Amino acid sequence: MSESQKRAPLQEVLPKSGLVVSEKGGLSELLCKPKLLPLKSITLQKLEEMEAQVAALNQQQQAANRPQTSAARFASQ
Amino acid sequence: MVADVHPIWLAQSKLRRRRYDECIQLCTDALQRNPVDQVAWYLKCRAITLKSWIDDTEIEEEGVADLLMDEHNVAQVARPGTSLARPMTGAAASGQSPVVRPMTGSGRPLTGFVRPGTSAARPGTGSTKPGTALAAALKAARPGTGSSSSSRPLTTSGRFVRLGTASLAAAGHGGPFIAAERLDLRKYAARPHLARVLCDYILYVDHNMQKDHNMQKVLELAGHATAEAGFADWWWKERLGKAYYQLGLLRDAEKQLASAAKNQDMLVLTHQLAKISTRLDQPLAALSLFSEAAGRHPGDIGLLLGQARLQEGLGNRQAALALYHQVLALDASNVEAIACLAADHFYSDQPELALRYYRRLLQMGVVSAETWANLGLCCFYAGQYDFTFSCFERALALAGDAALPDIWYNIGQVAIGIGDLSWAQQCFRLAAALDPGHAEALNNLGVLQLKRRQPQQAASCFRAGMKAADHVFELHYNAALLAHRQGDLQEAVSQVKEALALYPEHTDSLELKKLLKAQLNAL
Repeated sequence: MSESQKRAPLQEVLPKSGLVVSEKGGLSELLCKPKLLPLKSITLQKLEEMEAQVAALNQQQQAANRPQTSAARFASQ
Repeated sequence: MVADVHPIWLAQSKLRRRRYDECIQLCTDALQRNPVDQVAWYLKCRAITLKSWIDDTEIEEEGVADLLMDEHNVAQVARPGTSLARPMTGAAASGQSPVVRPMTGSGRPLTGFVRPGTSAARPGTGSTKPGTALAAALKAARPGTGSSSSSRPLTTSGRFVRLGTASLAAAGHGGPFIAAERLDLRKYAARPHLARVLCDYILYVDHNMQKDHNMQKVLELAGHATAEAGFADWWWKERLGKAYYQLGLLRDAEKQLASAAKNQDMLVLTHQLAKISTRLDQPLAALSLFSEAAGRHPGDIGLLLGQARLQEGLGNRQAALALYHQVLALDASNVEAIACLAADHFYSDQPELALRYYRRLLQMGVVSAETWANLGLCCFYAGQYDFTFSCFERALALAGDAALPDIWYNIGQVAIGIGDLSWAQQCFRLAAALDPGHAEALNNLGVLQLKRRQPQQAASCFRAGMKAADHVFELHYNAALLAHRQGDLQEAVSQVKEALALYPEHTDSLELKKLLKAQLNAL
């Protein structure tokens, strides 16, 4: 076996289109990456708290100002 | 025992211990007994001011009106790296590409720490299409970054007008404590201690509908007081500067603050001058202010943080990271530095390091939905699968309405990671239902629907996402790919052009464009 190998030099078989075989994958859809939630600064937290209070106050005022129907008045008694 | 204590002394003690409501109550009683009690007036004024005091050097917002009617002459097309409106992107800034790190609406990568105004977009020189400046400015910011707090107010002082109703309502019966319009300010200016307290009250508490009117009162009071002090008192000049800033007269504010700095070297003046420079879109000037002050005050964290924020705003990631490390070397518990470094490590494919930083935040007591959600993400990507879902459960329990869509979006990402695509679809659907403008969730929903061979639904998801947000390039790329597969070459070309406009170096988009060009030429 080894003698026959020593006798005949290896025949090189080269491909016609370039020496490097690369399989470029087809284009595929792209998913968006995971999103880290940014932490809030103390100022931002305080501002949000204050604005939440404003919103709550506004809601209360609106509820108080809304003219009550007789049915609502009856229900609240 | 408590009843024997002198009420004014008690009020003062409560003020020092920050029990503002009790202090206000005691002072109100004292004033009812003796309406001209100066001490009680002083303490009550101080307590009300401190209750609603916010650090306004932190607030970087510009109102819509201020943006559009900005009269300060700034170069329209700034060189890259010198303007906050045009951050350095891509390889030039050694930043993380948009493929790896999500972008926000302002064209900058997602940041780890947000302050009032950070997330708001800066239209103007950065926007490519005319007319988008107004549209972008008026569009409310994503709820994920804080709903009402980040929706842009109409003017700089507009946010404070919104808060003004709270103070008016909270004043309760009898109307507001001090009616600034009816005071004789010259008389007050002659008494320095009362004047200072009054000035702060008007600045921080007394926001009513005529906000500018109040600022003018501040200007009047401060003007008289400065004259009384012989133009040598830095405090009054600083207040003048603040009032001018809120009125939008930035150059006058700058003059006042610079003159105050000559009287007394105070860090708060540096911060405010830097804020003015930032507002005028001169970040390099602000940076030089900070570094010069840091030379005089080595080891001050506020200055380092200011520099780091500006570097991040300009897109110089490495410089910002170095500064954050310096901050941590000086103060190992600084939340902003830890959060920004953690975000950077996460997006540099080092979730274990990010995990360590977020654990440190938990140990420090910064327990919020954001921390838990980020911890959950880091656990999953670092391989600690047992902790992932308990972290997310806690995040969901703590989350307010603003953070919920993002948390569900991240849970969906984890679901994709473990291969449960139907659950992932449910999570993304939930995120999109909670926030119809959540472009990333819509994008991922579309991709999952394509996998289930539902191209019509996918296309509508992509369209909805594109309408909701302009900054997500994946939507355009995916829509282009879908159009290409369905044979609609014209649509594909226009979408891929938009994707490349957002992220010019995306290799897949460039390849698709080449492919489409070849196909169009072959026709």
